[in-house]
Amino acid sequence: MIIRPFTKSYGGAPVLDFPGASLPEGEVCAVIGANGSGKSTLARIVAGAMASDQGRPVLEQAGPVGYLPQRPYPFQMTVEGNLLLNAPGGRADARRRAAELMEQLEIAHLARKKAHHLSGGETARMALARLLMRRYALLILDEPTAAMDIRSTSLTEALVDRYRRETGCAVLWITHSLKQAQRTADTVLFLLRGRLAEAGPMTRLLSAPTTPELRQFLDFYGA
Amino acid sequence: MRTALEQAVQLVLSGDYQLINIISVTLQMSIPSSVISLILGVPLGVLLAFCSFRGKGALVILNRTLMGLPPVVCGLLCYMLFSGVGPFRHFRLMYTIPLMIIAQVILITPIVIGNMESFAQRITPAVRETARGLGLGRGRTFLLLVSETRYQVFSTYLLGFARSIAEVGAVSMVGGAIAYKTNVMTTAIMNYTNRGDFTLGVALGVILLAMSLVLNLTVSLIQGRLSR
Repeated sequence: MIIRPFTKSYGGAPVLDFPGASLPEGEVCAVIGANGSGKSTLARIVAGAMASDQGRPVLEQAGPVGYLPQRPYPFQMTVEGNLLLNAPGGRADARRRAAELMEQLEIAHLARKKAHHLSGGETARMALARLLMRRYALLILDEPTAAMDIRSTSLTEALVDRYRRETGCAVLWITHSLKQAQRTADTVLFLLRGRLAEAGPMTRLLSAPTTPELRQFLDFYGA
Repeated sequence: MRTALEQAVQLVLSGDYQLINIISVTLQMSIPSSVISLILGVPLGVLLAFCSFRGKGALVILNRTLMGLPPVVCGLLCYMLFSGVGPFRHFRLMYTIPLMIIAQVILITPIVIGNMESFAQRITPAVRETARGLGLGRGRTFLLLVSETRYQVFSTYLLGFARSIAEVGAVSMVGGAIAYKTNVMTTAIMNYTNRGDFTLGVALGVILLAMSLVLNLTVSLIQGRLSR
């Protein structure tokens, strides 16, 4: 999956200048950076939820892109209804798939509950399960575990890992947790004030950061 | 006040023909006009929130201006269109309930559109972003947005009905407050007050309030049960 170079500006002021990236199939690429570095803007633009100055940087022919926003919207129906909303194919298969996903994220007991009555962590798990009802060529997750406790975070990471292995999709995982990036990702994009400051394999970036900003970031987050 | 309350109760219990007629005309006008406004205004309001196009801001401001359209101006407009010299005189709608309904729809629809637009506007970015993430098309996203506004429709209906049932200016101009034909509760209260019959006016006011209360309670109950 190729992300072409693009820029994004608001009222003439540039907020993101991205030189492009290649996301190999079946690999997880973590996007790290401080607040306001442009992580969510990058996710939105690649997902097609926001236009860049040059249009969409991912070709439609590259395959379907699934995107989990930072604040996913729980539609006013049951949890199971939310999952079935994104179901391809037959009803019976969709119900089976929904049941599997809810089981894996430990929200099966909430299947009949109205989604807008869920807690923040439950909503996040429901939204991830809803997204994973389909197969994608690229999966973009914008801080999917921000509202979750440790157990839910661990379940989420395990489920995404299983999904990636089963479907062979590339994953773009936005996170501000360096520990999570270390656990889940093969490669890293480090954004700094709207620019890509460093990119490369996780192990190399952690052991030999080339920019003082990344070194400072790693020191601060205790890598 | 006590006499008025007693008289209101007596009027209702006695099944006074004139009172029943006034209530009946009021409902014949208020229910269809508020329902028609809802049918027109809900999709238009949600569409206005959902779509981005040149001139949208101007359209929103125009609608907000129409939300404050003075009823007498609306009555005057309908009068000029449907009276003996107006272009629609052949419809012979002057001093009839259908023209009162038309006047009410002109008054209430912008309120429904504005209410739905401002609610839908708040949730549209989140719904759109989530739907986009799931790969849903524009049509399906719009239907989802309409579905997400369904509980707001109840309170919007109450707003429209309240405006309809409480309105005097337009309905008296185009309806003429003709006894047993177009006299609604508000125009009847005005007539009784002008004649110095305050007691009957207050009694009708109390009945009007009671009707509004019953409708509010019913709609709130339905809304509460559905959103659970």
